[in-house]
Amino acid sequence: MPLSQQLLLAATLTFVGAVVQALLALKSGAWKQGRAQLLLMAGGFVLQTAFIYLRGQEVGQCPMKSLPDILVFIAWSILLLYFLVGPAFRLSLLGVFTAPLISIMQIMALVGGFAPYAPKGKINALVELHAAVALIAYAAFALACITGVMYLIQERLLKRHQIGGLFYQLPPIQGLSNAIQRLVRLGLLLLSIALGTSFALQTSVSNPKLVFSWVVWALYAVISILMWKHFTSPRKTAWLAVIGFILPFISLWIVTHA
Amino acid sequence: MPEPTDNRAGLVCVGLNYKTTPVEVRERLAFPEAQVPQAVQQVRGLPGFVESVVLSTCNRVELYATHALPSGDHGHAALRDYLVEHFELQPEHAEALVLYNLDSAEAARHLFRVVSGLDSMVLGETEIFGQVKAAYKTALDTGATGKTLNKLFQQAFTVGKKVRNETTIQRGSTSVGSVAVDLAEKVHDLKECRVMLVGAGEMSRTCAQSLLSRGAKSIIVSNRSYDKAVELATEMKGTAMKFDEWEHSLHEVDVIISSTSAPHFVIKPEQIEQTMRKRRWEPLLLIDIAVPRDVDPAVNEIEGVYLYDIDALQTIADEGRRERERQLAACERIIEEQLEKFGFLKPPGQPQHGFIVS
Repeated sequence: MPLSQQLLLAATLTFVGAVVQALLALKSGAWKQGRAQLLLMAGGFVLQTAFIYLRGQEVGQCPMKSLPDILVFIAWSILLLYFLVGPAFRLSLLGVFTAPLISIMQIMALVGGFAPYAPKGKINALVELHAAVALIAYAAFALACITGVMYLIQERLLKRHQIGGLFYQLPPIQGLSNAIQRLVRLGLLLLSIALGTSFALQTSVSNPKLVFSWVVWALYAVISILMWKHFTSPRKTAWLAVIGFILPFISLWIVTHA
Repeated sequence: MPEPTDNRAGLVCVGLNYKTTPVEVRERLAFPEAQVPQAVQQVRGLPGFVESVVLSTCNRVELYATHALPSGDHGHAALRDYLVEHFELQPEHAEALVLYNLDSAEAARHLFRVVSGLDSMVLGETEIFGQVKAAYKTALDTGATGKTLNKLFQQAFTVGKKVRNETTIQRGSTSVGSVAVDLAEKVHDLKECRVMLVGAGEMSRTCAQSLLSRGAKSIIVSNRSYDKAVELATEMKGTAMKFDEWEHSLHEVDVIISSTSAPHFVIKPEQIEQTMRKRRWEPLLLIDIAVPRDVDPAVNEIEGVYLYDIDALQTIADEGRRERERQLAACERIIEEQLEKFGFLKPPGQPQHGFIVS
């Protein structure tokens, strides 16, 4: 196994370790947002970054062409946003909910394998930027999905009067609801920028990647308007953020196999 | 006056608390805050005494000191006499005075337990940590502490933090008021939280006070007796509202605490549905303390509405207390480990120091 994949495996094991540690602590009722959790996530992030760097060296471009590479790049972006967004929204436990998704994405990537890319001519920086921004937008939608799951759990605990360990660790539902809205808006903004660059690139309108990206954009634009105008309750909004992420997730598979 | 030196062997603690002494006696033996610096100096100035810290709260009065007297008993007796004289107790009261007299490791263990909230009326409460810190700072500022008490209190703060960080002793709510705060905190940002009291019963007042003390933004009080509403609103720096007007302001508040004596439901689903539309689905917490209940339970079915009646609150508070009790053994274990680490106890199997507890 090349060094890059060894690093990715190590990163994945770190995230799995973070999940196990948090679940055991939550089960025993002793879980607290602590340095250990943050260090594990930060350690995993460093390993992920090292993988992306080495993989970029191997393929001679930004590694965002195959599905496994895209999954890793999105996982990396999720974590990047988690470090940026988590403290700002004071979302304790976000890491615990983020780690399983990242672990699954990286396991899928490792199972899929990392094939070499076909030789490529001159690198177009705008194309690379377009792809990277679009994937970071997907990461924002993924984080909105995770925050939606947290909202639905906390909402259920409140409704059913199940006041226990997890209840005390999860943030207030209003904070979660605001975070979902902001993450969806952030994702939409980034995706708009990515799609805007596609005009400059003069990409064919029938390009399946572009078509699916516009479909995802339209979906989140509708969700964003529903949230903004308060047409739906925060609970339904959270469901939309959770279910909505299925579309970009599936579209990744379709566009990389089209 | 002897200079403070390391005198762990002469460490004593004499005190009384809510377990040993009823409030009628405690209130007579409490040091007003302004008099604590003077008391610290007086204790330190007692013949043979070297250092002192005076801890005086509503639940306890404790004197920590080091001395160079022949035995701990002499130290205890001197501190007892000081309390009797200082508070000018009549002989019959002095005779009835029940104090705990602790030495060396027992005194350290007691302080560690106090700082960790294990000796508090509400197990695991955190306020005592700040109170002990303040007491120590007062003694430090007046120059009444030396090597031994400085070290002891620093160790106590370390232990207190360790107990809180490594256990969940402070987690959960143990009273109806604190449950209300916890719930409000998990629905809204408390600093932006607007509270309405419908009815001005004692329990709702307690809940409202808990919310305000934790930073709730504003309070509206509505009561059948408008005078009582005004009185309570003034006390809580809130706004009074006539009883026939509260329904119109429901959408403007985030937490409603209801405790009227009405024999029927005062808050009904159709009212709250309308309120939620006006609130644009902002979550609403309803705390129904009344018996018979004021809020129709069907209200809890509405999206974004969270209804807790008195039984639900009491159940959560009971569970909170049980959870803290479950943590007690782990806390005690940490304290014992720390006593050993700091040299107050020898490792198991070795003879321990001779402690006097009377």
